[in-house]
Amino acid sequence: MDWLLIPLYLLMVAALYGALLYAPTESEMGEVQRIFYFHMGAAWNAFLAFFGVFLGGFLYLFTRKQSWDRLAASCAEIGVVFTTIVLLSGSVWARPIWNTWLAWGDPRVMTTMVLWLIYVAYFLLRSSLPEGEMKYKYCAVFGIIGFLDVPIVWVSIRWWRTIHPVVITSSGAQLEPEMIHALIVSVIAMTVLGVTLVMLRMAMRLNNSMAEELVQELVERA
Amino acid sequence: MNAITLIWTLVAKDLKIEWRSRQALLTTVFFALLILVVFNFAFDPGSPATREAAPGILWVALLFPGIIQVNRSFQIEMEEGTLYGLILSPVDRGILFLGKFLANWLFLMVVDLVVLFLFLIFYNFSLSLQVLWIALLVVLSGFGFAAVGTLFGAMVSNIRTREVLLPILLFPIILPIILPAVNATQEVLLFQEIQSLNRSVGFLVCFDVIYVAAGFLLFDYVVSD
Repeated sequence: MDWLLIPLYLLMVAALYGALLYAPTESEMGEVQRIFYFHMGAAWNAFLAFFGVFLGGFLYLFTRKQSWDRLAASCAEIGVVFTTIVLLSGSVWARPIWNTWLAWGDPRVMTTMVLWLIYVAYFLLRSSLPEGEMKYKYCAVFGIIGFLDVPIVWVSIRWWRTIHPVVITSSGAQLEPEMIHALIVSVIAMTVLGVTLVMLRMAMRLNNSMAEELVQELVERA
Repeated sequence: MNAITLIWTLVAKDLKIEWRSRQALLTTVFFALLILVVFNFAFDPGSPATREAAPGILWVALLFPGIIQVNRSFQIEMEEGTLYGLILSPVDRGILFLGKFLANWLFLMVVDLVVLFLFLIFYNFSLSLQVLWIALLVVLSGFGFAAVGTLFGAMVSNIRTREVLLPILLFPIILPIILPAVNATQEVLLFQEIQSLNRSVGFLVCFDVIYVAAGFLLFDYVVSD
């Protein structure tokens, strides 16, 4: 995946330029709105990575090929990083705009929070199990259950919390064409970043397991 | 033996074990009672704010004993080594799941209904017929909780840190039950209206169906070696 690194670098530079210089300043919110460009990309990636966890888990249970578990674990790592970015950047944005760090009434905020909790739980489960088929199976099951949960959480918050609307959605404001350009570039850049990181982590995991197999062989021969 | 008989045998086995010692039942109910008392100390019982928060307190007091129960239900199996007996028997793993899950659910129902009764008394709510609606919510939400809890309980039974890991795994998944349950309890207790319960009940039923199905399908992966 080294061939991705140069396009990734160029995309990120373009995204930074687009978000910080090219896009005009938003009239109501001011400069802080620029967080939005990376916040959107990170949010999309967080959910995409979660789908990756589900897919990896599901296909592992089906095929028992360890590469699917590597996909799931790597997606979970990248996903938790992106979800943390979403929550932090969202809070920084929300404080001056909505006068609160965390908008407990907004379905997107709460769903992202639950997503983060499920990711972290996934890692705690992973780290308390020894390497082996049991670990991969259990994590796959948890990944599937967690994935089923996210739309349920969304619906439940939508139906029972958004009775008290505190928020004006950011997509309610019309976006200037330059803003849309910057947003698209930023989302693409973040997606390529996410994919690159997942592929790198999968390769590292593969190397790890190959190294461990070699160690096992040496130990057995000795 | 057909499936129903098998499930009934499994449920009866678990319930008989509980009934013989009754220790689990009493300690779980006592634990829930303690939570209600702790909340009474933590919040000023006289203030109207506490009365508004009361539905939430009920559901917290229902959740924690639930976690303890699903944890325990597999811990006994592990301690006595009977889990292997169950796995080795020529029973479809999905049936095993249903048996375990229904036993857990029935146990929880007994505990929960006692807790509900105590809650109404502690927080000074009238024991009108409308309370039956809350009992319905307890029954429905307990169903989904027991399903996910049984699946995860089996999963963590092998792990050393199971006591702390099970809540970490379970709580994020059952968070969506809490909102409709608390909201509907609020409607019934504080506003005496029951029209809006349709949505809550429908949601809980969907949740239950999804997670019982998921548990039924995935239990095999969690108990087989």
